Amino acid sequence: MANQEISGIVMKYPQERRFALAAMQDMQRALSYIPREGLELLAEHLQCPMAELYSMATFYKALSLRPRGKHIIKLCNGTACHIRGSVNLRKCVSEILGIEAGETTPDGLFTLEIVNCLGACASSPVILIDDIFYGDVTAEQVPEILSAYCEKETI
Amino acid sequence: MVARIDHKECIFEPGECIVTVAARNGIEIPTLCHYEGLCGLGVCRVCVVEMDRKIVPACITKLEKPCEILTDSERVREERGMMLALLRKRAPNSEVIADLAERYHAPDLPRLTVAEDADRCILCGLCVQACKALGSSAIATVMRGTKKKIGTPYDDISNACIGCGSCAQVCPTGSISVKDENGVRKIWHKEFRLVFCKRCGALLGTEKMLKKNRITDALCSDCRGYDTAEQIHQVLSK
Amino acid sequence: MKTVYVCCGTNCLAAGAKKVLSELRQECAGMEAEVLPRIKETGCSGFCEYGPIVTIADEGENDITYYRVKESDAAEIAQKTIAKGELIPRLCFHKDRNQPVASKMENPFYSSQKKIALRNVGLIDPADLQDYLARGGYEGLKRALELGSEGVLEEMRLSGLRGRGGAGFPTAAKWETGAKQKEFPKYIVCNGDEGDPGAFMDGSIMEGDPHSVIEGMLIAAIAVGSEQGFLYIRDEYVHARRSIGKALEEAKKAGFLGRNILNSGFSFDAEIVRGGGAFVCGEGSALLESIEGKVGEPRHKPPRTSEVGLWRKPTVTNNVETLANVPFILAKGGKAFAQIGTEGSKGTKVFAMVGKVKRTGLVEVPMGITLHDLIFEIGGGIKNGRQFKAVQTGGPSGGCIPQSMLDLQVDFDNLTKFGAMMGSGGMIVMDDTSCMVEVARYYVDFLCEESCGKCTPCREGLRQMRHILTEICEGRGQDGDLETLERIARTMKDTALCALGRTAANPVLSTIRYFREEYNAHIHDKFCPAGVCSKLSVFKIDPETCVGCGLCSTLCPAKAVIGEAKHPYRIDPQRCTTCGSCRNKCPKKAIITERRGENGSKD
Repeated sequence: MANQEISGIVMKYPQERRFALAAMQDMQRALSYIPREGLELLAEHLQCPMAELYSMATFYKALSLRPRGKHIIKLCNGTACHIRGSVNLRKCVSEILGIEAGETTPDGLFTLEIVNCLGACASSPVILIDDIFYGDVTAEQVPEILSAYCEKETI
Repeated sequence: MVARIDHKECIFEPGECIVTVAARNGIEIPTLCHYEGLCGLGVCRVCVVEMDRKIVPACITKLEKPCEILTDSERVREERGMMLALLRKRAPNSEVIADLAERYHAPDLPRLTVAEDADRCILCGLCVQACKALGSSAIATVMRGTKKKIGTPYDDISNACIGCGSCAQVCPTGSISVKDENGVRKIWHKEFRLVFCKRCGALLGTEKMLKKNRITDALCSDCRGYDTAEQIHQVLSK
Repeated sequence: MKTVYVCCGTNCLAAGAKKVLSELRQECAGMEAEVLPRIKETGCSGFCEYGPIVTIADEGENDITYYRVKESDAAEIAQKTIAKGELIPRLCFHKDRNQPVASKMENPFYSSQKKIALRNVGLIDPADLQDYLARGGYEGLKRALELGSEGVLEEMRLSGLRGRGGAGFPTAAKWETGAKQKEFPKYIVCNGDEGDPGAFMDGSIMEGDPHSVIEGMLIAAIAVGSEQGFLYIRDEYVHARRSIGKALEEAKKAGFLGRNILNSGFSFDAEIVRGGGAFVCGEGSALLESIEGKVGEPRHKPPRTSEVGLWRKPTVTNNVETLANVPFILAKGGKAFAQIGTEGSKGTKVFAMVGKVKRTGLVEVPMGITLHDLIFEIGGGIKNGRQFKAVQTGGPSGGCIPQSMLDLQVDFDNLTKFGAMMGSGGMIVMDDTSCMVEVARYYVDFLCEESCGKCTPCREGLRQMRHILTEICEGRGQDGDLETLERIARTMKDTALCALGRTAANPVLSTIRYFREEYNAHIHDKFCPAGVCSKLSVFKIDPETCVGCGLCSTLCPAKAVIGEAKHPYRIDPQRCTTCGSCRNKCPKKAIITERRGENGSKD
């Protein structure tokens, strides 16, 4: 089950410490988080302390110890987006979804993250949902953008 | 080679740390995240001194060539004082920090705010290092930046912890709780059975510690020596 | 045969470039052989504000360039410009009203630029090695193989190239240290962890000209004596990783990577290491810790990483833009590079100019250009008729530069004299609607999260600065706050363990230095003149200027604007959150800032 999937991810890598982050990134992508058994298995495979892997999992923002939502909303808070109103967008999204940055909606549909510069500064403020960039976003556009993902679910 | 520390000529071997050479010459430099036998961390920054007009941490900076070091200049006093003023807000319940802050004239800055969940820990990581040096690595730093803390994975019982208490021993502010009571040690959310010398009753350690070090008989080193001597005596007198 | 370049850099992608590309491909599919063009998907062409951008070039490299191209324009472009060479004025850049210009060189955004690091970006398909080779790709490598280590080092010395990641350390000197080391193996690392908010120079180079980075690493490896390289690319840069990954594959197939490259006996291979979402991993030694599979905590220096680096072996780490310059230096000679720029800062610099300028985007200019020329000549000045206030350079390690310093020449040393720094190239232009206190607070907040947290001065200093700045922004500033901030800042500068910590207080120090009155307004008058700190300001509509168009009322997300058409509108201070939606769009600039006072606030 989940154990086999984790096993498959971990065993793919040579038994060298330098693959710790890459293995955890793969787990994150496949399972939307790093399960405890994943850390334990990886620690065994790499022959390194579990505590150090746990340390990495909490240090790197790309990794999460709790399941993330189906759609990850990344609100850019780079300087250009910041001065072009990203704070208002954050308030808007939080109000509509009822969650704060770092949280996931109860139905598991959305996780809201505030990220540092995505590199699309000329289109600031920018929102990235999964792989799609939305540029020059205004507060009015937010409900429409989000509802497109809700509709996808009901189909 | 010779370095001048606080205008005093001090002989050193290239590669020696400032704090070691200073101590040998009767010059005390305060440290927190430094423990003899463990590799220098140099993170608390309380031991900063001026070396050829540059501020460096004395516990990990090695002397390689003749230089001028000042451990108590105005600049050093300011930096050290600020470190302690900042640490006072991170570890408000630590008497060690309070003492140092007073001794080294940490400025009173009422505008500074106490950290959330602040107690005694100054986040220096000596405990993590000690645990690693002993081969357990049961604890580690968690998170980063202002949210950084130290603990076991998931703040849960750690299978790697053997209850040796080295972390508590090296901790500069006594921030780690170890409770020995009724033959049981409580540390890092876990309880360990304590083992005592069957001959003299001295504390040997936890069961796990003995197991890890492959000690099968409950005898302290003195008593074991006595025991061995007795056995030899018995053999010889036959 | 004409070539059509469709910019697919990150910004243009966000603006819908892929759709434009596929429409153009469709429209051209049925064309006759004489007019059928090559259509290339390229990296960032620089003029991000005006994307999507399409350039149609003939064989003589004369171009017609169109901006803000929509899917629906594809048919017209195909039929008129591609097939018949006819201009479509409405899609051109307009210098002044009714003065469309056809070519990039007539566009003031492009005309004073000089491209070395970006020489191929926007002009090649990054996934096509042939494009790179056709523009002189891997010639630098060939020459480097002939010259050998000492010859390469000499060329680098002549060039005067200094690291483009922010620190400006002479590249030749760094490579020399690496070359001198007697421990093997040695490693070459590319720092692709570009994390300064507002900076996307390195991302664009990795996406748009990945081979230039690989070739740079190869040349470094020849100089230093290395056979293994790593490209550390930040987690968020998905496209860059893809582009570099493809290029590594292509380079291997073509024999530019691997064993016995071009029959020279020299071997080198490289792999990508993906970052984990940590700004601090851009710090050289933290980056190495991350490659080793640990948390990205910086190491103590000495020893330098060029002596004791990855797995304690000599490691030479260079920034992406630095490496992109190297093939040019080897192919054209260090002297040619040194002819551009200033005495202490040779060559060009790529800047990501963003914020409140009319023409945001990526520009490459000779070192020594003034801030004024960058912002007003190339950048076109401030948007929406507002006033220039400051330009932020150097990211969280840098500073804010006020109007009085705009004549300063930009290079490594000039700005540093005035408490700022050129940094890696991020340049954020701010107008009078930005609050400098809030900007300082923003950077400190950023660093509170991104600091590794290991050393006392950085972790605790930032925490305290965030606390004090928040107090100031929320109306609880006190006498002595600026002195306390300055005192903490000085300590951090002196005692922090790494460059992140040592420079973390720069945004605070530079804004206090040049915008002290603004701080004082917050602390003593409890007023935010820029109208950003919502607890200290509220917007008001000037009844003399307002013409009653009602636009503000439709835009206000807080429903705070009331009124009726043709009469001056009114803002309810209880509801106003100073989000700025109204002020940004008011055609008469009728919206002014007032102290919030006792009226209370929404927040």
